[in-house]
Amino acid sequence: MGEVEVASEELLRHFGPLSYEEIGFLLNKMAALLDKRGMNITIRKKVYAAMVESLENIYKHQDHISDDVAYLPKFSLLVNAQSLSLFISNSILNHKVNLLKSKLDKVNSLDKDGLKDLYKNTILSGNVSPKGGAGLGIINIAKVSENKINYTFTAINDKYSYFTLNVLISLNNTK
Amino acid sequence: MDSLNIEPTEFTPRINFDPENNLFEISGFSRPENVIGFFRPILKWLDEYSDSVLSRNIDFNKSLLTVNLRMTYFNSASSKFILDILLEFMKYHSRGNEILINWYYEEGDDEIQESGEEISDMLGYPFDFIPY
Repeated sequence: MGEVEVASEELLRHFGPLSYEEIGFLLNKMAALLDKRGMNITIRKKVYAAMVESLENIYKHQDHISDDVAYLPKFSLLVNAQSLSLFISNSILNHKVNLLKSKLDKVNSLDKDGLKDLYKNTILSGNVSPKGGAGLGIINIAKVSENKINYTFTAINDKYSYFTLNVLISLNNTK
Repeated sequence: MDSLNIEPTEFTPRINFDPENNLFEISGFSRPENVIGFFRPILKWLDEYSDSVLSRNIDFNKSLLTVNLRMTYFNSASSKFILDILLEFMKYHSRGNEILINWYYEEGDDEIQESGEEISDMLGYPFDFIPY
């Protein structure tokens, strides 16, 4: 049987800089929407974790973003019969692109046990940066997603690029 | 030594460290805007507790210290600090105190249960897992 194109419904969308309170607002709204659709606690917690880590990452790095309105932070959450899909976009300094790409390739190359080991090694060895990042966010997103993180990077100019991460959370393989 | 009591907020957990009853509880939700600012004073309190209470206990029988963790959610930056807090208790354990770590999780909440199992594994120390 061939692949069937599945229509997705957009549940949540945010465009522009984020405050800490707005992150809380989006999280509460997501939890209520998924609860209303009867999604179980494991799914809700997975989406919650993926949203927190990605939105807090945008929040922590928004002093470095490009001021071009086309490249402001974006977030959306979509659902179809098979999965929940998060799209997270933000601008990034060009010299940081390779580091982020290599982190994404690393987590995408690992299975569940490999991710657990990477999380363990990072948390036991890494220092928490002054902004509170512990280098754990992407690993955590990959752990809860249990799917590969799709990504794109597009050059904006000689200083910035714009990236989009797509995180999938399957609906049919959780308890 | 005075107990440490921090009331919860929308972004931070409740802390009740009661040295008189050897009971240490962290509960609720944790994604502080300033994660270092929230957790560093807690680690400092544990340092003082070690110096001023545990080090002065020269009895042969050391106290049993009970740690209750009842988290509903914590972000990855908080997990680093929860681990640091528990590493302090591992130090107390290596100096002779018995430590009981209870990890509470909502029935069906695999994420919190698995996080507890991973932290237990990282510490190399067994937790009691208690669904509620």
